[in-house]
Amino acid sequence: MGMISKIIGLIITGAGAVLLFWGMNSDPTYSFIWFLIGMIVMSIGFGLISGGKQPETPEPPPPTVTEIICDNLDCDFKELRDFEKGDYILKPIDATCPKCDGSMTIHGIYIIREKEEEIQI
Amino acid sequence: MQFGGESSEFSWIINLAFFAFIMLFSLYGQKIQMWQWLKQIESGLLELKRMFLESRQTAIDAFKNFGRPEDEVAGDLDRWLDYFTIMPVDLDPAGVIQRLDHLLDERRDRFEEFVGDLAPEADGKMRQNLENTLEVTQVMNLIFRVVRHYYILGKKYGSQIMIMQIQMQLPELLRIAKAYFQAMGAFSVGKPIGDGIGPLIVSKFARQYGATKEDYIDDLAREVGYYRVEVEGRTLFAVRATGPGGTVGKPGLAIENLVKQNSGDISRIITIDAALKLEGEELGRVSEGTGAAIGDPGPEKYAIEEVARKNGIPLEAIVVKEDEEAAVGIMQKELLNAIPEAIERIKASIVKRTETGNRVILAGIGNTIGIGL
Ligand SMILES: [Zn+2]
Repeated sequence: MGMISKIIGLIITGAGAVLLFWGMNSDPTYSFIWFLIGMIVMSIGFGLISGGKQPETPEPPPPTVTEIICDNLDCDFKELRDFEKGDYILKPIDATCPKCDGSMTIHGIYIIREKEEEIQI
Repeated sequence: MQFGGESSEFSWIINLAFFAFIMLFSLYGQKIQMWQWLKQIESGLLELKRMFLESRQTAIDAFKNFGRPEDEVAGDLDRWLDYFTIMPVDLDPAGVIQRLDHLLDERRDRFEEFVGDLAPEADGKMRQNLENTLEVTQVMNLIFRVVRHYYILGKKYGSQIMIMQIQMQLPELLRIAKAYFQAMGAFSVGKPIGDGIGPLIVSKFARQYGATKEDYIDDLAREVGYYRVEVEGRTLFAVRATGPGGTVGKPGLAIENLVKQNSGDISRIITIDAALKLEGEELGRVSEGTGAAIGDPGPEKYAIEEVARKNGIPLEAIVVKEDEEAAVGIMQKELLNAIPEAIERIKASIVKRTETGNRVILAGIGNTIGIGL
């Protein structure tokens, strides 16, 4: 639908432009009428091109991740996974650390957003 | 181009059209603008309505998992959507804080009772999250109803000032509504929000000094407790609301009780909260100042200030800057990154401005949803 109406719009706009220019150079008595008709046809064409926009589909919400860190201070194991229901910050995890077999805790839950353009001054 | 040429019999049409155009816009320009504004309000209103209906549905979906059928939940929820609290009279301001506190307590009780009725099988933590979900739905409903009121009123009586006001405030209202709408998903599954940074800093601080979940003593005030830890020879009471259910508790009353329990022998009260940042300021910036950092309707802040004044305790505030969207939205990495600096500042303050043997209160203010002890 979107593509076809754009192409038709383009054709109509082109036809309108031809009418308009032709009107400008034809018989002085009717040039004004042709000019007007050309304008109207062109605006219909533009309307078709810019109109018919589909309603924006809402973007899927950005993902939330859970950051798990090993409790052993000498171990640097860190894991990021998708948020699961029941997770909360400072929750001890059942699984043990794959590096040192120690216990692990959730140290962060946060959303991954795209950076918005900030106005810098 | 040749129209309007000397021999054309159509030139009068152009002149007429030109004058008609001028007349139309000078006489009806304002009407046209009003119509345009009404259209803008209308599309904003439809957006608000959509967000409200969706958050209502999210709330129903969250509630119906806990023992009541969907249609009953929907009916009760609708009855509850415009629950109101009448602010106490301030014509005679004496005691207005106590009266407000009393009303807010009653309101909390009613909310708890309602959530208990609607979700009989939910446990304590889940109930708190459902309570938050309910509150967000109420906010969405309120914004929608107020905008609709002014839209209809403006349209009915053609009141330009009403239409103008609502049209100008609409972007701001939509921004707030969107922030709450996006928070809805966070509340219904128990994800932490930006406002929870205060309690999180307190817990992380206490954990650095060896406190564990089991050390948390939950007996100060409604849904507020503390860890007792030794920091550089000082005794620190790290106060925060219980988690990971969503609650802010009554931190003011908690601090007041704690000071009384120690018969006034407290050398410093440090409050930590999220504070609104100005546009252009960095998200997650830590700053410090004087006073009680707490954004409640009044009674909690009053309690802290009053107990500090009576006992001559200095009040210090450390805040993490965030905007409203960040405060009600899911926790962001930038805020978590602010924790080490906040902890350093607390430590510096304790070491520099208190002496060995002193007792210090550190209170993290905020909604504890998704933040464990
Ligand atoms: Zn490890």
